[in-house]
Amino acid sequence: MAKFINYQNLDFKLNSQNFYANKISLSINASVDPVLVSDGSLLDYAPQGSLVGSLSADFYLTGALPNFLDITGTNSTQITGLFGGVQIDNLYAKSLSFSVEPFQPTILSVEFDWYGRLSIQNIEEQKVSERQSKQVPQYVANAYRSSMTNTDLDGVESIVNFSYNSSCDRPAFFKVDEVVPFRVAKLNKKAEISLSSNSLGDSIDIDGKMVTTTLTLKDLYNTTLQTFYVSGVMNNQKYEISEGNYLLTSANIYQQVTEVKTLI
Amino acid sequence: MSYLISGLNIKNISEYNSSSLYSKFDIIDYQLNTGISVMPNYTGFGITGLTTWFNNDSLNNFLTDTSFRVTGWLNNVSGSGNLFTTTSDVNNRGRVDFNESYITLSDSQVLSGSGFNSDSRVLLLAFEVLTPSNIAEQTICKFGTGNNYGLLKVNGKDELFSAKFILDNQQFDAISSIYDDKNIVTLIQNSSANTIKIRQNGYELGTYSSFNDYWKSGELTLGLNPNNGGIRYHEIIHFTGSLNTSQIDQYEKYLFEKYFKNEGLYFAKNNVPTGSDHSPITYTGNSYWTRDINDLFFLSYGSSASFSAKLSPLTFGDGYKTNVTNGINTLSSKFNIVYDGLTDLQAKTLITYFENTPQSQNKSDYEGFKGVDLNLFTPYKQDCETYFLNINHSTPYNDINKINIETESFYESCLNYKGMYVLLDEKSIKTYTDTTFEFAYNDVFYYPSTNFYQRGYYFYTGQAKGVAQGSTGPLSPQNSPTGVSTYFTRDFYFKQDIDYDIQENIRIKSVDFKNSTKEYRKDGEYPNIFEFEVKLTKRSNKETLAILKFLDDKAGFKIFNYTLPQPYNKTIQVYCPEWNHTYQFYDNNSINAKFIQFNSKSSALTVFNSLITFTS
Repeated sequence: MAKFINYQNLDFKLNSQNFYANKISLSINASVDPVLVSDGSLLDYAPQGSLVGSLSADFYLTGALPNFLDITGTNSTQITGLFGGVQIDNLYAKSLSFSVEPFQPTILSVEFDWYGRLSIQNIEEQKVSERQSKQVPQYVANAYRSSMTNTDLDGVESIVNFSYNSSCDRPAFFKVDEVVPFRVAKLNKKAEISLSSNSLGDSIDIDGKMVTTTLTLKDLYNTTLQTFYVSGVMNNQKYEISEGNYLLTSANIYQQVTEVKTLI
Repeated sequence: MSYLISGLNIKNISEYNSSSLYSKFDIIDYQLNTGISVMPNYTGFGITGLTTWFNNDSLNNFLTDTSFRVTGWLNNVSGSGNLFTTTSDVNNRGRVDFNESYITLSDSQVLSGSGFNSDSRVLLLAFEVLTPSNIAEQTICKFGTGNNYGLLKVNGKDELFSAKFILDNQQFDAISSIYDDKNIVTLIQNSSANTIKIRQNGYELGTYSSFNDYWKSGELTLGLNPNNGGIRYHEIIHFTGSLNTSQIDQYEKYLFEKYFKNEGLYFAKNNVPTGSDHSPITYTGNSYWTRDINDLFFLSYGSSASFSAKLSPLTFGDGYKTNVTNGINTLSSKFNIVYDGLTDLQAKTLITYFENTPQSQNKSDYEGFKGVDLNLFTPYKQDCETYFLNINHSTPYNDINKINIETESFYESCLNYKGMYVLLDEKSIKTYTDTTFEFAYNDVFYYPSTNFYQRGYYFYTGQAKGVAQGSTGPLSPQNSPTGVSTYFTRDFYFKQDIDYDIQENIRIKSVDFKNSTKEYRKDGEYPNIFEFEVKLTKRSNKETLAILKFLDDKAGFKIFNYTLPQPYNKTIQVYCPEWNHTYQFYDNNSINAKFIQFNSKSSALTVFNSLITFTS
């Protein structure tokens, strides 16, 4: 009988740190092109680039986010992932997002590019004893106490929900004769917030509306787990009302994250 | 600021300071020390005590015999001692090369003299010990007579902790190379403390305590090292009394600036600790500083090579011609090398490296500066001397840089039977023997033969054969490169891309009747001469090596057969005067080659695959 692996028995670790994930997705993509020659035959399939994988994970925030998941930060080094006993050595984080909905636990989604080969066929369930000895997290982020400041959001009063997404491009650079990059840089770093509120104040102008806000993710007992500071421009406003409902407004805030060059 | 630094378009490069820490990719302008240099006879600082100054600046510094062998080396300080040789054996007299800045004393050659006595002294010697055939002690100089000497010697292998300077019997570890490199050794003899301090290239190696009285002798002897390669003496400076450290630094720097060629820019290949023993010219410093670009950067995909033959065609009419090659280096070779994904600091270092390449040493007194020894990309040779011509720097974002450098190489010759850039290295391309048993499609073999026409490169087009296929035996003779049922070819067997574009210009003459009409006439019996481009894109590294070896072997002018694609399908004779190759990605290469039809006899094969061996 075919063997199907059960997720509950899988651990997900990043740089040896446990993440309480409820969903993992892994894919591999080889970019190949057929080589057709003058007599009409197919000579080969040629690689156009490296083997690029994609890994995404949804996990509960159970503590402060490690520096290597700061998408808009300067840390661009590789991350080592471990999933079902299979180690992935060349992970590079490229996006982090979450949504805060009333009274819901906050689940963070993170996406990675990865390079090289891995023995995914060796994926295996965790031993029952290891699973049972796993520590229960002390904190779990929940919308109940989490917040988004509105003091610098002119006219925004009661925020009903909000979501956050930070992302960047990860261009890879290779030495000749190698297929695993020696560097995966960060490019076009940006942070975006979507919010719903009862009001939005003045409508935005042609250059948007400059805003600053801080998102704070806390657990049920008011312990701060992580904050996100965004200083950008409100570039979209939306007003929606339907029969039998209240007026609900929504807006998008966008920040292009920059780094001032250090003179060398 | 040195002239080197001021000549660069890059800021924040400083002279080397041994008390500073440096990070990987930092750049320094190395000088022996950061102070000024002072001529030994300069008295502006009130320094006196110069009693001896031997150098090679003038013919008047020497006495020679009729064979221009040295019989005397004269002191620049009048009234002081000179050095002579009294031997009647001409071979035991040293040689002076009037084009060089040294005299060489090898084997039993010797110079000695008196008048150098001093209880306390500072002796600065600039010299170069040639690598001995057998490592043995060699005496650089000695004071005393008979069997009673104070001796400065050198011994050991040229590596840290083996290489030694020796004062009498006390050994001191050398910090810099002791053979085939210039050295400044300073002896600071202090009579009252009864010590001799020894410095090598400004770095204090140690102190010799309780030295014997022979060191105070006025008899000085140079050379006399039987069965050794010799010592080149550049300059000897001697002060009686004492000098302070600053003054010694100044005189050492004078010698350094005059004789050393290793000043200039160095690049940190690791984080560098403080200390003079980590300076670029020391054994330890070799692990931290480099001038080798291959220690710092590696090439990226997208690097490309282009070749074009320097030919002078002679046309005979009717489409016939012959190509005269201009010199033995037929092919002009340019490489566009790509360094991608550099940080700002790396880009700064690479741009500085580029800008500094003309400051490289001259290859000789009669040639220009030395090029950059570059490890080219697959499948080209490593350690290829190239000249950097232009640079293009682009940056899409903060701390991400891409640099393209166009380089030219012209010291490779098609006279080399191994090839020019795609080498017979016995790894990628092997010599075919009767015992060779591993074969794969597109393998390239060199077939050595005494038969002029059979010798050369062959391309395997048979089925894979070897251990993986359960075969460990060689090919049968009929399947060998020259067998009747050979599995090899010397023809252009590669298939060009499915999308090809062939343009044909018919050769005709026109007569223009002014203000009237134009008339065309045929130009001989063979008006249809093809000139077209062959595209071979997305090819594996293995096939690419075979294609490039084929073209490299043809050297831009040799004739070969080529079968035109549909609908022509005719086999014609062509030569390939130009081609370029881009390494797109691993196992993905693009080659564009220009083929020109050649109407002539194919038997007039030109073979320049000479293996020249000099027997004496």
